[in-house]
Amino acid sequence: MRNLTSLLEGPQTMGRGPIFWSAFAAVVLAAAALPAFASAFTVTNVAFFLVWVFMALGLSLLWGYTGILSFGQTAFFGLAGYAYGVASINFGDSAILGWVSVVIALALPALFAALLGYLMFYGGVRDVFVGIVTLSVTLVFETFMAQTAGPEWTIGSARLNGFNGMSGMPPLMLRFGEHEILFDGPPFFWLALALLVLVYLGLRMLANSSFGNVLVAIRENPDRAEMLGYNVRLYQLIVFVIGSVLAAMSGVLYTLWGSYITPSSMGLTAAALPIIWVAAGGRKDLTATVISTVALLWVSQTLAIYGSQYALVLMGFILLFVVMFAPEGFVVTSVKAIGTKLQRRKAMTVSRKPS
Amino acid sequence: MEILYQAFGLFYQFADAFAFLVLCGLGLAIIFGMMGVINLAHGEFIMCGAYVTVLSARAGAPLPLAMLLGTLAAGVVGLILERLIIRRLYHRLFDSIVVTWALSLIATQGMLIVAGPSIEGLKTPFGSFQLGELSYSTYRAVLPLIALLLLAGVYLLFMHTRFGIRARATIENADMARALGTNTSRIYSLTFSLGAALAGLTGALYAPTITAVPTMGQAFIVQSFVTVVVGGADVLLGVAPAAAVLGLIQSTLTATSGQLIGQIGLLVTVIIVVRVLPKGISGWFLRRDR
Amino acid sequence: MTSAPYLLETRDLKKYFGGLYATNGVDVKVAPGEIRCLIGPNGAGKSTLFKLILGTYEPTGGTILFDGEDITHLRSHSRVQRGLSIKFQVPGIFHALSVEQNLRIALQRAVAPAARNDEIERLLVLLDLAHQRTELAGNLSHGQQQWLEIGMAIACRPKLLLLDEPTAGMSPEETFKTGELVKRLNAEGMTVVVIEHDMTFVRQIATRVTVLHFGKIFDEGTLDDIVKNEDVVRIYLGKA
Repeated sequence: MRNLTSLLEGPQTMGRGPIFWSAFAAVVLAAAALPAFASAFTVTNVAFFLVWVFMALGLSLLWGYTGILSFGQTAFFGLAGYAYGVASINFGDSAILGWVSVVIALALPALFAALLGYLMFYGGVRDVFVGIVTLSVTLVFETFMAQTAGPEWTIGSARLNGFNGMSGMPPLMLRFGEHEILFDGPPFFWLALALLVLVYLGLRMLANSSFGNVLVAIRENPDRAEMLGYNVRLYQLIVFVIGSVLAAMSGVLYTLWGSYITPSSMGLTAAALPIIWVAAGGRKDLTATVISTVALLWVSQTLAIYGSQYALVLMGFILLFVVMFAPEGFVVTSVKAIGTKLQRRKAMTVSRKPS
Repeated sequence: MEILYQAFGLFYQFADAFAFLVLCGLGLAIIFGMMGVINLAHGEFIMCGAYVTVLSARAGAPLPLAMLLGTLAAGVVGLILERLIIRRLYHRLFDSIVVTWALSLIATQGMLIVAGPSIEGLKTPFGSFQLGELSYSTYRAVLPLIALLLLAGVYLLFMHTRFGIRARATIENADMARALGTNTSRIYSLTFSLGAALAGLTGALYAPTITAVPTMGQAFIVQSFVTVVVGGADVLLGVAPAAAVLGLIQSTLTATSGQLIGQIGLLVTVIIVVRVLPKGISGWFLRRDR
Repeated sequence: MTSAPYLLETRDLKKYFGGLYATNGVDVKVAPGEIRCLIGPNGAGKSTLFKLILGTYEPTGGTILFDGEDITHLRSHSRVQRGLSIKFQVPGIFHALSVEQNLRIALQRAVAPAARNDEIERLLVLLDLAHQRTELAGNLSHGQQQWLEIGMAIACRPKLLLLDEPTAGMSPEETFKTGELVKRLNAEGMTVVVIEHDMTFVRQIATRVTVLHFGKIFDEGTLDDIVKNEDVVRIYLGKA
């Protein structure tokens, strides 16, 4: 047990000790119980929030932990969505082939990320240029998919459908003999939640491992990391693939959630959102990323009844404000402020005691 | 004769692509070359220039004046944003780039709220001319000439004016330039504003050929990035050859395989260039091994 | 284990920048157990030589042998994995991470997980940084930063330690302490090559001295031999 917490806690993640983990367990249990007391609409909505967190966590790992500013995570999101769509529509209502489609939809972006990452990191592309290349990739993907309206753009029985996007993917299911679970409504919500808990804990372990130590070393000073004998490019490539698979997970889940994927999920606005979620919470911390992603999605959705552009303008201002006044992110900054306050109070009570 | 017409058609397409890439990339490249900031609101400065041009022309201003107003408006907005925001982030390069993205989002979505999804466009001036079977827009044939003039203008500005000399000194070594009495923060302001104004001019020049919509910046931004990445950090040396190479690739691919392949061709070129010449074409010219 | 007579050997090593020769045919041979000091006026090619040895620069010509193996075309991290290590001139530490974290990152590659904490304690004591373990490295004094980076450079027990002006910005007292540390590491079996301007420091530690001038080896020998060479005194020592 002790060993496990030592893996889950460390200098690279906020939150430790019994209080934090109790709170964590409480939140997860409360979330898991949500379908019992909330409306189906709410459950579907919260599932929608959870769907995006994977991509945000991937970006936090890339940008916050390793210092790779990828502006185009949505490329992997969209690629996964379309891959899942094409595969699952062709495979039809089969239980097993549905999961095969998921594997395909994660493997394809992973391969593409490996190729693109190899070209970039082994080609000596650094810093800002990584941002431009990745952003260009996602925008070109968007343009590409938007031009597939014609009937000639059909893969098997799946029509890509251009600008309007693809729809009609069957939901995932599991079959045990007679029993059948359809991942729709609450089961889908639980699936997303369970995956999120697993990914979150897994990333915490990764961040606090020796591997995670090297990542922050690369962020802080890549030359020094190289001169300590670490193959910086290889680490960057591996992290890029991990981050992209996480974006792909979001893409698959999003496509499952709405049976729907469109080119605009890879556009400039879509690409900006993960950056905003991650920056607003605190890109250097996984927990902060989860909190701010869910919170901002909730805010966006609440505002969206007035029109999505209002929510997006607000997101723009949040990003502007964070970068200028709280560059570490709202969550991280406030946790640190509370931390120093508590420490001060502790110090005061300690110094008062003798008198 | 037929062959000549075909050759002209190809050349026209190449020149059109070249002009578009130069006009897209120049403003972005000037800001990037000067301060290392990739201005992600570049497309929105283009949008600003286009909107002001369209609105002034519809209010009765003659087209050249409307275009001048569009250019100036973008330049002034750039100057203000630089003073208020960008300047505070010079010591945090990544953050200054991210902040331009915030500006881009605010501008695009704010414009949607204020001005709606699109505004009525302008008519393309000068009509068209006919060669062989095909007819060509005279206005678009003029744009490559304007692109060349702009390149020459920027070259003269940076090589032969006081501002240019100081700007180049600042790029080379900002601390030294400051020590020698250059007001580098003013140079940065002016450069940012100049980059924004050039973006505005791009918007103004293309305003008569497209429908102005708030999200129009996106249609320009990939080409802008591509030109800057392929050109490399040196504005004066990079943009023109990058635009020529990319224009050739794009127009050839578009003519033979369609517009989509042309676009993909650009991206593939970029990835190859990045692999072979990480510092872009200008880096290859200068070939200064560290 | 070492069969080669020299731990580090460069053969006709050249690096041209445009028309400028930064190093122009350098043959350096460092035997195991030496503390070799590289001296020479500014621009003599000392730092370039280090960067060539480390793989930061690709040489224009020549070969680099380390422990008998040709490492000329290996990437930096592979060279480090073979037992090279560097302390940069400007401290290359991880400013936003704690002292302990800096050392952990430096040693985790070569030290087994169970032994890491003990090794960190040992280094903290050795570097006189035990009280600063949770301090962010960026908040240390300049001298302490230099020491921390030396600690990081030796954390993997390299065979060859390269020090680029390790005492820059240090007080005479700190400089002396650094010299004693280098001698101690050397006594434990580490071969050391140092770029240094401070002749007191060179005298304190050097077993052999190499003088570089205009990208070539000008003279080599013990410090006493070197100072007898009037030409060396003229180009370099005279100015110091």
